[in-house]
Amino acid sequence: MNGDPGIGDARPAAVDLENMSDDISDIRLHDIPALTVFVALLIIVGLQFFTRYVLNDSLGWTEEIARYLLILLGFIGSVICVRKDTHISLKFLYRYLPKPSIKPLAVFVDALVTGFFAYAGLLAIELAERTSAQMMVSIRIPKGVIYYTVVGACFAMALFAALRLLRTLRSPPDLVAARKFETSS
Amino acid sequence: MGLMVLFVLLGILLVAGVPVAISLAVSSLAYIVIAGLPEVVLIHNMINGIDSFPLLAIPFFILAGHLMNTAGITTRIFAFARAFVGWMHGGLGHVNISASVIFAGMSGAAVADAGGLGNVEIKAMRDAGYDTDFSVGITAASSTIGPIIPPSLPLVIFGVMASASIGELFAAGLIPGLLMAVSLMVMVAFNARRRGYPRDSMFDPCRLWTTFKDAFLPLLTPIIVVGGIVTGAFTPTEAAVAAVAYALFLGLAVYRSLNWRHLVRVSMDTIETSAAILMIVAAATIFAWILTANQVATLLGDALLDLTDNRYFLLLIIMAIVLLIGMFMETIAAITVLVPVLSPIAAKAGIDPVHLGILVILNLMIGLLTPPVGMVLYVLSDVAGVPFERCVRATMPFLAPLLVVLLLIAFFPQLALWLPSAVYR
Repeated sequence: MNGDPGIGDARPAAVDLENMSDDISDIRLHDIPALTVFVALLIIVGLQFFTRYVLNDSLGWTEEIARYLLILLGFIGSVICVRKDTHISLKFLYRYLPKPSIKPLAVFVDALVTGFFAYAGLLAIELAERTSAQMMVSIRIPKGVIYYTVVGACFAMALFAALRLLRTLRSPPDLVAARKFETSS
Repeated sequence: MGLMVLFVLLGILLVAGVPVAISLAVSSLAYIVIAGLPEVVLIHNMINGIDSFPLLAIPFFILAGHLMNTAGITTRIFAFARAFVGWMHGGLGHVNISASVIFAGMSGAAVADAGGLGNVEIKAMRDAGYDTDFSVGITAASSTIGPIIPPSLPLVIFGVMASASIGELFAAGLIPGLLMAVSLMVMVAFNARRRGYPRDSMFDPCRLWTTFKDAFLPLLTPIIVVGGIVTGAFTPTEAAVAAVAYALFLGLAVYRSLNWRHLVRVSMDTIETSAAILMIVAAATIFAWILTANQVATLLGDALLDLTDNRYFLLLIIMAIVLLIGMFMETIAAITVLVPVLSPIAAKAGIDPVHLGILVILNLMIGLLTPPVGMVLYVLSDVAGVPFERCVRATMPFLAPLLVVLLLIAFFPQLALWLPSAVYR
């Protein structure tokens, strides 16, 4: 295109801008704990906001509880990331590797993730036992509740990672390679 | 010896495609074992890393961004931007940039902007007769404005890792973000004249008024969020809560475009994105703890300061390192690895942490537009149905205006620091 552009020659966009999905078919029963923590976090932080700005008298315990819920959200939410393989990772190497070498690498990654979370779960048990006498500052709940939930989340992650490892081991190399590209972003 | 293992192992695991959080944690664990420290410090540091009030802003900003992507809001803002600047030469290029600026005031991630708004922008530009390369290039470049203009997830992470004020970082991003928009608009105007890109019908005040009325309520979001943060009325976390509350109000009460299934879907997406980021922050905490205990930053800083004591030359070296890392690493991961090393060096050289923050994030945003790990390019290659290599070539020319802005901000710190010093100090 050259010369003086005509005024009004840009056609209006014929696009569907409504891109909001309400498909919830991939949500499983074991996603409920994460959803519960998330809703609790929303309510508590919302409550803090409300008491500070509307009632001018913020509730002291909300900040501490919100931080604990954030820890739980991180670890329990991470279980979903492990299950769906959506933890952030760099996948550019897979674009340059010959296809047959992808499967061994995928097996290595899955095995490492499984091993790590199993070990992290054991470490979390040790931490929970050492701190079992500690109480939260603002309300009388032992801090161990947080640590034991982290223990559970770590073992859940190890379990889902192990299932993925099994699936990778059983799949033909081509399928493993295809899956890596499917989730690469 | 331990540190060598830490860095080499981290590099190998990252390249092998092990999730970033686990790469950081496993290589740190290897160091802990070699150094003979109790292994339990690993999980203890990871948990403490998330135990931070400012980090609460992350799930809320992500949720607000998802909610703002609801039917109705995107359309209205795009229509308003089109009535506002669509009549210029290369009008849709300007619309693209303006819409990105408005959305930058609502959401905090570049990759999400490229996926959501980018989809709309590229389709609209193609329909109007623009070539694909130009459409992809400008969409990629303008999506990087998002994390510079507040709110910004990368700036929250930077603030937490560098113990810098997130409020000040947010205020500091506003002017650089607008500068990026202006520089890209200059580029569009230049190209549009030369290549004769189409434009919409003449400027029509009536249409501008109608679309403005339609977009009025969504347009208040950036004003509430950015205004609240920049004037100091809201902390970043509170601004995030306000954004969520307002988005819910629009979706449930005003436009009635949300139902319970949308809310569950959006919550699950938010949990996933937040958890992925939180785990990286958790694992980076132990990594940063090891680096700090070994005074890695001090040693490297001394070496750099021996090389030069010119502050600007030092800044250039730091930016070259950040750009290089940014080409290979995802933004959040790059911040968590870089900040524990860079911020003590910068402090020693007298570089303001807020200034450093804006420079690092802007640098990493440019890294999102370069191969081999240009996340925005991967997303757009998917959205536009164009091969990755072509996206790389299409985006290349747009790096020039962004690099010019980067250098301007590096050499004129006041561009970033004036607003926060006027408000906070």
